[in-house]
Amino acid sequence: MDGSLLFQSLVLGILLGGLYALLAAGLTLYFGIMRVVMIAHSAFLILAAYLAWWFHRETGIDPLLSLFVTVPLFFAVGVLMQRLLVARLRPVTLTMMSVLLTFAIALTIEGLLGFVFSGTQRRIQLGYSGESIEVFGAHVAVVKLITFGLAAASLAALYVIMKYTKFGQSLRATIQHKEAAQLVGIKTDRVAGYGFGLGLATAAIGGTALSLDATIYPSLHWHWIGPLMAIIVVGGLGSIPGAAIAAMVLGIGQSLLQIPMGTTWAQTIFYVALFATLMLRPQGFFGGRLAQRF
Amino acid sequence: MLNASDRLSVSKAFVAKVVVFAACAAALLTFPSWAANPYILSAGVVVLSYAVLSTSWNFVGGFTGYISLGHAAFFGLGAYGTALLITKLDLSSFVAWFLAGVGVALFAIPVGWAALRVRGASFVIVSIALVLIMLLVFQSWSDFTGGSNGLVVPRPFPDMLRPEHHETFFYLFAALLAVTLLCWWLIDRSRFGMGLKAIREDEDKAEALGIPTYSYKLVVYVVSAFFTALGGGMYALWFGDLDPVFQFSILIGSYMVLMALLGGVRQLYGPLLGALIVGTALEYFKLEFGDTQFHLVATGLLLGIVVLFMPDGIIPAGMKLVDRFTPERSSIREMTAAELLERDQSESSERAGRHASTPSDPEPSTTEKAKR
Amino acid sequence: MTLTDAPPRESLATVSLSKSFGGVKAVDDATVTFVDGKVNALIGPNGSGKTTFFNCVTGMIKPDSGSVSYRGNDVTGRSPHRIARAGIGRSFQLCRIFPRMTVLENVLVAHRTDGLRSLLKGARNDDEIERARGYLRRVGIDHLERSEAADISYGQQKLLELAGVLMAEPDLIMLDEPAGGVNPALIGRIGTLIRELNAEGRTFVVVEHNMEMVMSLSDHVIVFDRGRPIAEGPPSEVQTDPRVLEAYLGV
Repeated sequence: MDGSLLFQSLVLGILLGGLYALLAAGLTLYFGIMRVVMIAHSAFLILAAYLAWWFHRETGIDPLLSLFVTVPLFFAVGVLMQRLLVARLRPVTLTMMSVLLTFAIALTIEGLLGFVFSGTQRRIQLGYSGESIEVFGAHVAVVKLITFGLAAASLAALYVIMKYTKFGQSLRATIQHKEAAQLVGIKTDRVAGYGFGLGLATAAIGGTALSLDATIYPSLHWHWIGPLMAIIVVGGLGSIPGAAIAAMVLGIGQSLLQIPMGTTWAQTIFYVALFATLMLRPQGFFGGRLAQRF
Repeated sequence: MLNASDRLSVSKAFVAKVVVFAACAAALLTFPSWAANPYILSAGVVVLSYAVLSTSWNFVGGFTGYISLGHAAFFGLGAYGTALLITKLDLSSFVAWFLAGVGVALFAIPVGWAALRVRGASFVIVSIALVLIMLLVFQSWSDFTGGSNGLVVPRPFPDMLRPEHHETFFYLFAALLAVTLLCWWLIDRSRFGMGLKAIREDEDKAEALGIPTYSYKLVVYVVSAFFTALGGGMYALWFGDLDPVFQFSILIGSYMVLMALLGGVRQLYGPLLGALIVGTALEYFKLEFGDTQFHLVATGLLLGIVVLFMPDGIIPAGMKLVDRFTPERSSIREMTAAELLERDQSESSERAGRHASTPSDPEPSTTEKAKR
Repeated sequence: MTLTDAPPRESLATVSLSKSFGGVKAVDDATVTFVDGKVNALIGPNGSGKTTFFNCVTGMIKPDSGSVSYRGNDVTGRSPHRIARAGIGRSFQLCRIFPRMTVLENVLVAHRTDGLRSLLKGARNDDEIERARGYLRRVGIDHLERSEAADISYGQQKLLELAGVLMAEPDLIMLDEPAGGVNPALIGRIGTLIRELNAEGRTFVVVEHNMEMVMSLSDHVIVFDRGRPIAEGPPSEVQTDPRVLEAYLGV
């Protein structure tokens, strides 16, 4: 194995890790706010990718511009979903039932995508699809850089929102201690709705970014949800920085393992990490103190 | 008087139960003779296999309240285990079937050991991950499993014609279902089952009362995996052709959950009833709409409705309805409740009176000023 | 209400028990010995670590350091069911029962299982049912045995929880705020029950805020503040201890 190949994989791993981090951050938001495991997150990811593809096919305009529609749309859908569906569940069984509910939503989305767009594999062809630039000897596709750039910018925006806005403060307060947040006058229901919307918005961004670089088909979301779930468990459920770190580590790991093992087997790293986490540290590796700081 | 009428209603209920049970069993067992054509009969086999799977799932889901979306892993392993034992080791069909079940049960021990360390959300995540791993492994390891080209399972009864084959397997599945239900019923009325239900209600509390919750969960998880694998193996013998995408499909796992939940996870026949409804609907959709994705949408919507509006299933919902429209029964209940309340109040005031006169007792008071 | 002069036999004891949550020391180097055969009360201001201490002792939380022993055996870090089997029963702060099981089942659950064979026995074993009914009668809610536990009143749930604890036949019973949220009549009834059960030889450790109950009921009081005991002794002494007043009034 030569050094440049290794370096190439490392760079690709970082780029992939960025996207994982963004998506895992969304998942963590739902869990942190409402103890909801959002299985449909990756289904919305694929939905956004399909919308970007469809937008490009119909208008011929760069699919990235579909973001201006999908991000607000997904935000609204997220708010509605929380207010109309998730909030109806009984608090006692919320976590379990929310898994089933969002699972049902994922199935419905997958089915509708197959219904409307058929099961055919789709891919966007762009002028810059095949281009790549050289970074210290590693060839990196432009679309991958764009994807990473989008993910990094969104994560940064999320960080700023969480850290410096009033809404972010209420959100964090709600995550840390819902009853206490209510006591200081935070309308936790509304905050939870917006938090849900924010989470779904990350799926819109991630999906659009994904559409530039990937072949999409309706059942693709299952390939995403497994790794993402593994990431949030390894990162410690509810910790955004934990999820981001785990995403980076596992993304890089997956990319590096692809050289000796091939793409399919490299995916097992997520599941190995998942089971190892449960055996050694069920509360996750990066949760706890970090979770409280963000 | 209350007791007498109680006993009467109990025995009436018992008779009703026996009659309904006999009628259902008879209807089920004669199904092959009145099924219109082999296609309908094969649909019946599919529905029965669903009933076996969701009843098996309900060992974990119903008793402990842990929802596993990944039981398709055990289903697929049972199916592939049976097929591989027949083709690679030349075992006879039903020996292979049973050994595969045992093998999967053994495999479930370390899996459960890891998965049951966490509760709620993490457990569901692990269960999903399990199916995805199995899918990955069985697709990639194609030298051994046949990969996406599929794996042909030798027929156990090579001389049989198709309708006869379906009929035989209909009865085999029915027998397996009966054994599974019997086992669930035995656990349900045992102390072990009571401990499991306590876990479902409040795991910490159960543990504090001296129930070794972790071991309980693990045992029932393994039992559940065993029966699910037997269901999978039987399916392999019947269907004769395996593909990882279908055997380790997350959809199969979600069917098990949907069926059990729809029927009612706390009821013995809940999953069976759910399987009859959902299984029949699925077969119908496949017949009417062919290969479209419509059955996904239907499954998704139905699951969503069940989760939102009747998380306890249709059996309890139905019983509530019956209760409401049976004036006699409800009035007896109300009377008893009122009576009990009255008796309780008079008793507690009587006791309070007694206490006040006992010198060693504290003055009844809720003043908690000392606390501040 | 006076302590015997003979040196007390060791029941439950902790040595340097500590547990912190994210930098906050909930239990801090607590060395406590409870008196066998007596009603011990554990009191202290809100947030003084009583419940965390409870949870460490009963195995619900693993302590960071220190040890717990019961009758001379080290039980530190054992799982809760093993501690329960060692003879320590406990109730929870906000009464916890199994809501969708009947009152009788709630008590039956706490039977002592001996070996695999008893597990497969039917749950409705007659001896066990009689025993469970006995405890329900004892706490005065036997007429409710067929109701779902979720349907009975809060006070009745508290009594039900106690009946469940008794069913496991513990030698030491730890109650977390038995008088919390119940009416005065019921407080009296619970007090009497504790007295009676104590007279039969069961040791009690009671966390309680209701001072009148504590003072009249307990033989030995231990005062917690900031995660450790600051004073202990008979109620009359503790009541006038300046350190206790300081802890409560925050002087």
